[in-house]
Amino acid sequence: MISSLPPGFIMVLGALLVPFLPHIIRQVYMMILILISSYSLTLGFGIHSIINIMDYEFILFQSDALTLPFAIIFHIAAALNVIYGAHEKHWKQHVSIISYSGAAIAAIHAGDLLTLFVWWEATAFTSVFLILAGNSTRSYKSAVRYIIIQVISGMFLLAGAVILLLNDGNVLLTKFDINTLHGQLIFIAFGIKAAFPLLNGWLQDAYPEASEIGTVALSTFTTKLAIFCFAKCFAGTEILIAIGAIMTFYPIFFAVIENDLRRVLTYSLNNQLGFMIVAIGIGTELAINGAVAHAFAHILYKGLLFMGMGAVLYRAGTCKASELGGLYKYMPITAVCTIIGAISISAFPLFSGFVAKSLIMSALGKEGLVLVYFMLLFASAGVLHHSGIKIPFFAFFAHESGIKTKEAPKNMIVAMIIASALCIMIGIFPTMFYQILPYEIIYEPYDFSHVVGQLQLLTFAAFAFICLWHFKIYPPELNSTVLNSDWIYRKMLPGVLLPLLKLINKGNQKLENKINSTFSKFKLFFYNYMLNNKVFDRDAGPDTLIVIQIFTVFLVIILSQVYFF
Amino acid sequence: MIKLLFQKFGKINTSVLFLCILFCVLELVGHRYGETSIEDFLFFPAFFGFISCIVIFKLGVSLRAFLMKDEDYYDK
Repeated sequence: MISSLPPGFIMVLGALLVPFLPHIIRQVYMMILILISSYSLTLGFGIHSIINIMDYEFILFQSDALTLPFAIIFHIAAALNVIYGAHEKHWKQHVSIISYSGAAIAAIHAGDLLTLFVWWEATAFTSVFLILAGNSTRSYKSAVRYIIIQVISGMFLLAGAVILLLNDGNVLLTKFDINTLHGQLIFIAFGIKAAFPLLNGWLQDAYPEASEIGTVALSTFTTKLAIFCFAKCFAGTEILIAIGAIMTFYPIFFAVIENDLRRVLTYSLNNQLGFMIVAIGIGTELAINGAVAHAFAHILYKGLLFMGMGAVLYRAGTCKASELGGLYKYMPITAVCTIIGAISISAFPLFSGFVAKSLIMSALGKEGLVLVYFMLLFASAGVLHHSGIKIPFFAFFAHESGIKTKEAPKNMIVAMIIASALCIMIGIFPTMFYQILPYEIIYEPYDFSHVVGQLQLLTFAAFAFICLWHFKIYPPELNSTVLNSDWIYRKMLPGVLLPLLKLINKGNQKLENKINSTFSKFKLFFYNYMLNNKVFDRDAGPDTLIVIQIFTVFLVIILSQVYFF
Repeated sequence: MIKLLFQKFGKINTSVLFLCILFCVLELVGHRYGETSIEDFLFFPAFFGFISCIVIFKLGVSLRAFLMKDEDYYDK
């Protein structure tokens, strides 16, 4: 029975029972759901479950070498999310997290586009409650924008699927050609979820508005689902190299000036997605392994950073760099775990980021893509600046903020310690980590050149930051809003469209008035005529009788024409 | 001198400075090569890291003028 269910489905189904369980039992129950779901991963590669609806075959459960690493990390992340959110007594967010994780896990096991579409939309509708849990007017508005954009992405996917179905007679999830219409529509659908340049506004808009638990879950699934889909359907599509390179590059500058530390992390998330997209664009076995390894490692260290900032938000009530500082005295374990996340994302040797990113950089070097290689190297220095230094420094050190608080709840600490341990383990034992990647490779990240080169790059970039800060060149963080691509639909389009609509409305009003006055004149004339001839008189006089008789004669003639001739 | 450096520049900052020197010395001891031929220049990653960080900072700060708005910009 369980073997025929797609992994994750049991989590979505089981979420229905979550509201009715007492707090502690609920947490244990959710962990059991994840455990049962993970059993399906032991079934091996192949198609495990198909259902027929109206002559159409839905491939619910298909697994291969690409799905396995994503399935493993999605299950680990789901378990970490449950532990991290265990202090939350209310059931709402728990239902959302367990069903959202389940939908994402089921999505990566879909074997056709229509099944993928169902789970694609399910991830959107289950996750939006995590943004609503931010419990403010801002989070409500962000949630509405988030769901609209996610649904639009789903519509592109569905349109692509329908066109493919009409053309080929099937919608198997396989490699697509970017030069076909269905390929382009599916590409856009994935691109929206992967937060491509100019399509990324929803990410920085919505994620920082979610609850402290919600942002950790959100950072894991939606964007990585898109990365999985790109790896499955568009590996080796060259345009991805250019798009990915831009993605690694420009968010750095936004992250540098952003004040909200959780929003800084969303820019950093965007930048890291760029590394994965570049690797998928290259499409070689080494590069795809790099993309998958990076997604795997990234879920852990980015989750860890969001956990750290979530704990700060939970305890200090703010995540703004301008209002934080000196918290290491009150939250030492959170500070250490956040620093481990920061070191990992910066790709220091012996941490997970290094062993994952090295694969992508080597793949770029082997393909001779020198310009992109240096863009990514530049982006690596940027990652150190905004995620490696800015996040822990402004939250836990910098200046004394005057905030006196206590350490994060125990469940949060446990989740952060597990995530930290995994980041270090992957860094120390890369061979074990490489074994779960889609292709067999022999790669040694710890050679002299790699290690020394990376250490020089990072320590000198850190030294530059130290100089800027020490000599007071680094400007203070300010409470502000940094404009992003969501400005297009939040300010620009309303700014252009509203006056235009008003103008059209004004024109319509004039036209309507003119029509109304003409019509009124006609009505008045007609009414006067009727009144003078007593057509509307309540007392039916001889005139009325004549009118009725004439109409009756006409009716009989018309009906006889219709029925007899 | 080291004591003075610790006092003036701070313990952590000085430690990072010494690490920078150590990693440069390591390059002189062993043979480092890069994925591309440009990287083979002596201390290339060190220069690249330092300059990149300064460029990111300068560009980021200059973008403040265009991109930074009031906190309630979207609520107005």
